[in-house]
Amino acid sequence: MGFVNMRAFLWRRLLAGAVLLFGAATLTAQSAKSPETLYTESRPAMGTVFTIECYMPDADSADRVMDAAFEEISRLEALLSNYQSSSELSRISREAGDSPVVTDPETFRFLTRSLYWSEHSHGAFDITVGPLLRAWGFKARNGHVPTQQEQKGLRDQVGWEKVQLDPAAHTVRFTTGNAMELDPGSIGKGFAVDSVVALLRENGVHAAFISAGGSTLYGLGTPPDKAGWPVEIPDPRTPGSVATTLLLHDMSLSTGACTEKFFVQNGHRYCHIFDPRTLMPVEGMLQSSVIAPSATDSDALSTVVFVLPPDQSKEVLRGLQDTQAILFLSVPGASNCVVIGASKSICDDHTPITREGVRP
Amino acid sequence: MDRRSFTQGLSALALVSSASLSSSALQTAAGAAAAPAAADDTRAARQIAHTTINTPLRLGLIGAGSRGQELVRSFLRVPGVRITATADVYPPRFEQLDKVCGYQVARHADYRALLDRKDLDVIVIATPLGLHAEHVLAALKSGRPVYGEKTMAYTIAQAREIVAAVAASKQVFQVGHQYRYSPWIRAALARVQAGEIGDVTHVLAYWNRNNSWRRPVPDPSLERLINWRLYHKWSLGLIAELGSHHMDIANWTMGSYPVAVQASGSICYYRDGRETDDNVQVILSYPGGRRMVFTSMTDNAKQGDQLWLYGTKGSLNLTLQDATFFYEPRKVTAVKEEKGDKKQEPVVTSASYSPANEMPYRGPGKSVEVKDPEDPTTAATRAFVYCVRTGERPIADEHVGLGSALAVVSANEARVAKREVEISAV
Repeated sequence: MGFVNMRAFLWRRLLAGAVLLFGAATLTAQSAKSPETLYTESRPAMGTVFTIECYMPDADSADRVMDAAFEEISRLEALLSNYQSSSELSRISREAGDSPVVTDPETFRFLTRSLYWSEHSHGAFDITVGPLLRAWGFKARNGHVPTQQEQKGLRDQVGWEKVQLDPAAHTVRFTTGNAMELDPGSIGKGFAVDSVVALLRENGVHAAFISAGGSTLYGLGTPPDKAGWPVEIPDPRTPGSVATTLLLHDMSLSTGACTEKFFVQNGHRYCHIFDPRTLMPVEGMLQSSVIAPSATDSDALSTVVFVLPPDQSKEVLRGLQDTQAILFLSVPGASNCVVIGASKSICDDHTPITREGVRP
Repeated sequence: MDRRSFTQGLSALALVSSASLSSSALQTAAGAAAAPAAADDTRAARQIAHTTINTPLRLGLIGAGSRGQELVRSFLRVPGVRITATADVYPPRFEQLDKVCGYQVARHADYRALLDRKDLDVIVIATPLGLHAEHVLAALKSGRPVYGEKTMAYTIAQAREIVAAVAASKQVFQVGHQYRYSPWIRAALARVQAGEIGDVTHVLAYWNRNNSWRRPVPDPSLERLINWRLYHKWSLGLIAELGSHHMDIANWTMGSYPVAVQASGSICYYRDGRETDDNVQVILSYPGGRRMVFTSMTDNAKQGDQLWLYGTKGSLNLTLQDATFFYEPRKVTAVKEEKGDKKQEPVVTSASYSPANEMPYRGPGKSVEVKDPEDPTTAATRAFVYCVRTGERPIADEHVGLGSALAVVSANEARVAKREVEISAV
């Protein structure tokens, strides 16, 4: 086994289903013609564009399963969107300050998982950050540093520990006694991807790839005669280059970065990802990617490891099965690439983008 | 009586035994009950109000398919509600429902076994349209309050039978016309009824999609069971499944049942063995020459799901998420005449045509703001539970259901017969 293949071998073992490759050259040629065709469809949802690719026997069956999948995404957007005032999450945001709000098991499960990651990340992950994003202008796309007075007032409006769940009664209550603004932005897309994966499996789909705007991905099964669905992780230290290529097989990957949402004021770049504990935008982190069996978890964890220092991130990820992270930092004097749960050699092996597309 | 004050007529009619109503009696009864329009809004507000009362309520669900599951999600947001049992002929639904509930729900292959149970307080029916009447009537006969999905019945005779059965049973009955509980639609309609856009003479409604309306079928033998909406035996197609909501809003707006209907439809794109049309057009006539036009197509979603209420002073746009008013240019303005002997400026003659006068208005409207713009189904299910606990009459009662059923079933009859069909309120 050569050097490159050895690394691929190690990652395959480490990721238990997500296979790391270094360039497409190592991919084996398709050995047999598949009776199924790859179909793809994209639709806007959750403030981004969802894309589903799946292998199906014919266009009609692909059409039906795509419709069902996108209908599920729409349903979850109507359930969880903080931009739709009629959503269940918005109702809870409005009413749980007055008295405990009974909610449905699905929404309760979403909130339970959200608070689970808040607790296990010591507050680095927090769905109550809505007022922070609003105060800093990220919701209205007019980014600006709020006044000190405004920042002071945010302390009372933000904090996961102010959200109390009662599993027996399925109620949500805010200890603030006031409305709060629950923001599903760092976990909702992953939650939707997991639901779509379950739906596709129930409908007999055995090979599909789901992308929630590129930031949360899931490879269901594998394409015919392939080891997985290839995904490139860009290397933000060298624009235009690829840090590594993964093959996702029954595995999700989520990425957080400040390359899309940020603003510059007085020469300083402010990121849209906040540290809820300091109420300030995260500094010193370029990009985080997390691989995990659940898209809900990888979505949340990509924020956790973006916010926490790498040493603390390692503690959070320790013991989590099949979960790894790749971080790119911009801290002078420190290592600017950190891998958690896999070989650090990935950091030194970025590959220029020379191929058309990402499909093998 | 002013037409605008002739509001909430169908719900108001609930105060009167429908069995004895003639067409003129309908008008009279609704007119006599016009005063409760504001009271109706108060009643609606009371029914959908946030509650912490959690008296246990055991719910039995007949039909655990996609709509049944969605209703359950909403019912489980109401304090005290537990889904105790369900009946369905397609076994995979049971596991799906358990997943929605987070616990195991007792299962029955026959709905009659569910109704025989002694541990159910209310029955919810979300079966295919062709089965609504059988299930609603049996549920009422079992002596429990019933929430029945729209359209209330497959035939007008069945709809009338349900109206009579509700009266005889004295049970709470609510039909799944949840838009009646939408906070923004209620707020907007109240303003329409107060005259904000003048006399509403037309309602134009669209529900367009760009998909086949088919559900994935694991085995061809299940095609008609899962895709029942595409076959005449259980379905009245797009007119019922989509149009019934809009026709209900038209009835609400017009304060009357429709008096006649024309309709057409065809299969123009999905020639896949389905029986129901993939596009339909319906024109409902209301007293005074007023009209409601509903169109639905399934191969272009540009217009989406929306209604326009057109009045002499403005327009109202209603969607699943909001309501927006637009206003007509003022027609007459008083001119302050110059005193003294100042010479009046002459008018300069010119070519008169100005395309701007014919262009659609493309500017912003005035959106309707409401305090709690929650999901209409969530509000409707909470209102039903309120009515069960208090005995109060639901806003979307059997008379609302009858009005929508009259429109839907008659429209389908007109579509088949290719002629105008008169609608009798009795």
